[in-house]
Amino acid sequence: MAETLLWVLPLVPTVTALLMLTTRDRRLLSTIDVGGSAILFALTLVLVREVAAGGPRRLGVLRADDLGLVFLLLLVVLTLAVSIYTVGWLGQAVAVGNMRAESLRSYFALVHAFVATMVVTVLADNLGVLWIAMEGTTITSAVLVGYHGHRHGLEAAWKYIIVTTIGISFGLFGTVLVYAAAAQAGAGAMSWSAIMPVAATLDPGIVRIGFIFVMVGYGTKAGLAPMHLWLPDAHSQAPTPVSALLSGVLIKCALLGIIRFQTIAAAACGPAFPAEVLLVFGLTSVVVATPFILAQHDVKRLLGYHSVEHVGIVALGLGFGGAVGTYGALLHVVNHGVTKALAFFAAGTAIARYGTRDMRAIRGLLGVAPITATLLMLAALSLAGLPPFSIFVSELLVLRAGIGQRHWVAIAIFLAMVVVILAGLLHHVGAMAYGKPPAAAGREPEAWSPLLGMMLLAAIMVLLGLVLPASFDGMLRRATEIVVAG
Amino acid sequence: MSAETVQTIIDDLGALLLFTMIVIVAAGQIYRAIYAVAAQSLLIAIAGGVLAAATGNTDLWVIAGVTLGVKAIVLPWTLHWVVRRMNVRREVEPVIPVAATLALAVVVVVMSFHLSASLGSVQPAITGNALPVGIALTLLGVLVMATRKTALTQMVGLFASENGIFFTAMAVTQGMPLIIEIGVILDVILAALVMAIMVLRVRSTVDADIADLAELRG
Repeated sequence: MAETLLWVLPLVPTVTALLMLTTRDRRLLSTIDVGGSAILFALTLVLVREVAAGGPRRLGVLRADDLGLVFLLLLVVLTLAVSIYTVGWLGQAVAVGNMRAESLRSYFALVHAFVATMVVTVLADNLGVLWIAMEGTTITSAVLVGYHGHRHGLEAAWKYIIVTTIGISFGLFGTVLVYAAAAQAGAGAMSWSAIMPVAATLDPGIVRIGFIFVMVGYGTKAGLAPMHLWLPDAHSQAPTPVSALLSGVLIKCALLGIIRFQTIAAAACGPAFPAEVLLVFGLTSVVVATPFILAQHDVKRLLGYHSVEHVGIVALGLGFGGAVGTYGALLHVVNHGVTKALAFFAAGTAIARYGTRDMRAIRGLLGVAPITATLLMLAALSLAGLPPFSIFVSELLVLRAGIGQRHWVAIAIFLAMVVVILAGLLHHVGAMAYGKPPAAAGREPEAWSPLLGMMLLAAIMVLLGLVLPASFDGMLRRATEIVVAG
Repeated sequence: MSAETVQTIIDDLGALLLFTMIVIVAAGQIYRAIYAVAAQSLLIAIAGGVLAAATGNTDLWVIAGVTLGVKAIVLPWTLHWVVRRMNVRREVEPVIPVAATLALAVVVVVMSFHLSASLGSVQPAITGNALPVGIALTLLGVLVMATRKTALTQMVGLFASENGIFFTAMAVTQGMPLIIEIGVILDVILAALVMAIMVLRVRSTVDADIADLAELRG
């Protein structure tokens, strides 16, 4: 059953994408969209249950273990939320001419093709397939980033496809080197599950170079500084639902790739080496993102830079390592994904009301769209790392791991940046929510579907901050074990 | 063929590959860069053929054939077609002078050899000087992409970089599994297609080179 699911799961979004091409009717397209995402979500829950009961399953080049399932779960939840949000968002976007009604089917088809490539990425056991799927996500999402077709969108799309394609060429090079070391040690296959048992016998010199190439390569895709230059452009120019997927899931998929190689490198060269590399990139990301967050005027760029910071925090958690740091990092992946998607949704609604993305022009959102404004505030409070929201918990765990490992300098820098960003973020969002709205702002009642999509994410965000369901906690623990024990 | 003969041939091919790469870095005209990258792909296909004959690995024949068809013929032809279609008036447009790029290229090559020499213990398992050449090609491709302002030259740099990875994969591991190599090539074709469409689209709507747009900042 579970083995069957492994090949059915990537097939669901693929079939959904193909179905999209058969119709032009917007209502029908949205129905297929939500339906496909719901089926994907339900099947994933079944797979999670099966793996929790019977351990990892493998089928050819695909494999489901708890580590991959954490990312898969995040992916399907966000896909469902995005589909629900898109129903109402699309109506508005078509009305103002941001999306052309006659080309909608290609948009939907691309979104689901993008989701399909991400599903393969998180389920890939073969490191070559992991790379192919990762490049597949770049190709499909680059078209989506430039989908609006204006020059800014195309500029962002070009920068995105060129920079990330160079980046992951490095990833492929690193993969080749690690495979060469594994072939020498007699692994015989290119799959992660075949390399791991012999990982301790791999040649440390070649794995070290390979890991650095992989780190730069997949790190580019993950948006780690200093390879993040494409990220604020791409995440801000993409259509809002795509921004949510890019910031919420895609960069996390790249992190999963890094984690897979981290486990190999930790076994071959000792855990200290990959940890140090991760710490350097993590700290750089947190520091580099801060000034741009403070000085930003474009709300979607603000959220983009903010993703750089949070990917940095995940890298820090992985770098501090140990059970606590890794658990915190994985929890942070989920928390940040859910919260950032919510923030993008709310920002997208605000942008539609005011007709601008300049935060200086967005004032008094509470008076214009009270529910969206409240959700935006909640998301911002959570992103800033305040209790009782989920991100507070995972940041605390990362911090705890750092203290346990006595990385005092890293902790000091991390804390200073988090405080500065907290102030900057609350200033920006507070100014958007309060004040007197301009007369031109749209005051029509809020559409149900975007609200429903946002509520879904907000509920998860609040829930994960207050209590961690035992089943989810167990999954994270088992995933942590995979990373720590190798 | 004896192991030494193969080693010598691969080393010679490696030298030729580096030469084509230098031609790409130094090229003042886009056509010259396209021909050089086509020649480079041809050399890699030959290297694949030699290794296939030497090791008896039939997968390598397929990979060599696909490399020849796709990277030495189809992709350069596509680039050529886009250049004609765009009616390019501007040529390569370096960000920094070509002479400076060449100097950097020399540094990169020396560094690559130094880096792989530091891997003393694994050297015997790796065919001759394939690893440093592969690293050098990959990095020089990136150098071309970073120092050129036109979209098509950036694409040439990308293909050169991919060539370096393919050469390394062939020589170091005697080829990755066939299905993976095919998948990688498929990705390269798709990426090239999407890039070509973007280039033409920007050219037709705002009459500018897509790589030259620089309005998103901060």
